Amino acid sequence: MTLSTINIINRDHQIAKLSAIAVALSLIEFFLPSPIPGVKPGIANIIILYTIFKFDLRMGIWVSLIRVFVTGILLGTFLSPTFFLSLSGALFSLFSLIIFRNLNSKYFSIISFSLIASLAHIAGQFIIVRFWIIPHNGIFYLLPIFIISAFIFGLVNALVTSKLLQLNSKK
Amino acid sequence: MIKKILQFFKLIKSGDWFIIILFCGLIIFSTKFLWNLPQGEYLEIYKRNEILATYSLNQKITKIINGSKGETKINIDNGKVRFSSAPCAKKYCIHQGWINKANQTIICIPNQISISIVGAKRKYDSINY
Repeated sequence: MTLSTINIINRDHQIAKLSAIAVALSLIEFFLPSPIPGVKPGIANIIILYTIFKFDLRMGIWVSLIRVFVTGILLGTFLSPTFFLSLSGALFSLFSLIIFRNLNSKYFSIISFSLIASLAHIAGQFIIVRFWIIPHNGIFYLLPIFIISAFIFGLVNALVTSKLLQLNSKK
Repeated sequence: MIKKILQFFKLIKSGDWFIIILFCGLIIFSTKFLWNLPQGEYLEIYKRNEILATYSLNQKITKIINGSKGETKINIDNGKVRFSSAPCAKKYCIHQGWINKANQTIICIPNQISISIVGAKRKYDSINY
């Protein structure tokens, strides 16, 4: 009998820890009431942005997808429309980050990346909603609300992340 | 306090300002184009995805529509429309109240009935036989 072994490296531990924090944040967010239904701050994305900037994009993709799947399983929404909404949002924002990863860091900071990703997140969710959940043109009426909230929360999340990175680099 | 806020402004680089301005432009553009609703002319009643009927809004009438759960009553009152009774549990469709602008919509998911108002821009002004 041969033993199959999985080499666990330090990187895997880091991914696990960061994903756990991200899952905890999205659970907290789930139980917080929101003033406008459907608008959520997306505080778990702080951790994903932090991972991308502290480590690299590959690790950010891991953390983001693990967060989506684990949160889905924990909240019981796995494979339901809610889950696909969050999955498509996550995939679109990761794609946008992959496309824009070569932006010059001299001119573009976390804020740009966060804003681009939050807009892509809204776009991904809206495509799913328009073509699958509510196939009706009336929902475009709601789009400005979501774009405005994406702008506000994208900015706030980016500022929090840059503060976190500053605090962490001092140690 | 002001110093702390100014510190945040220092974090924003020149490219970020570019992205922020683009984003603000997108917000203005989307609100202008998507929230600019003309007055409605016609009412379309949908059952699932199919148009059941189209009525003019310039009349005072109550229509009874059979959905998948039961009867829904729709009031048309000279330019505005509402659901006045529905068999669903939460009655969101009734609480939404009157609508009168083009592209506004009320949806009753349990009964699978939705109504939406269509503006004056139609292919034909009238059809005669």
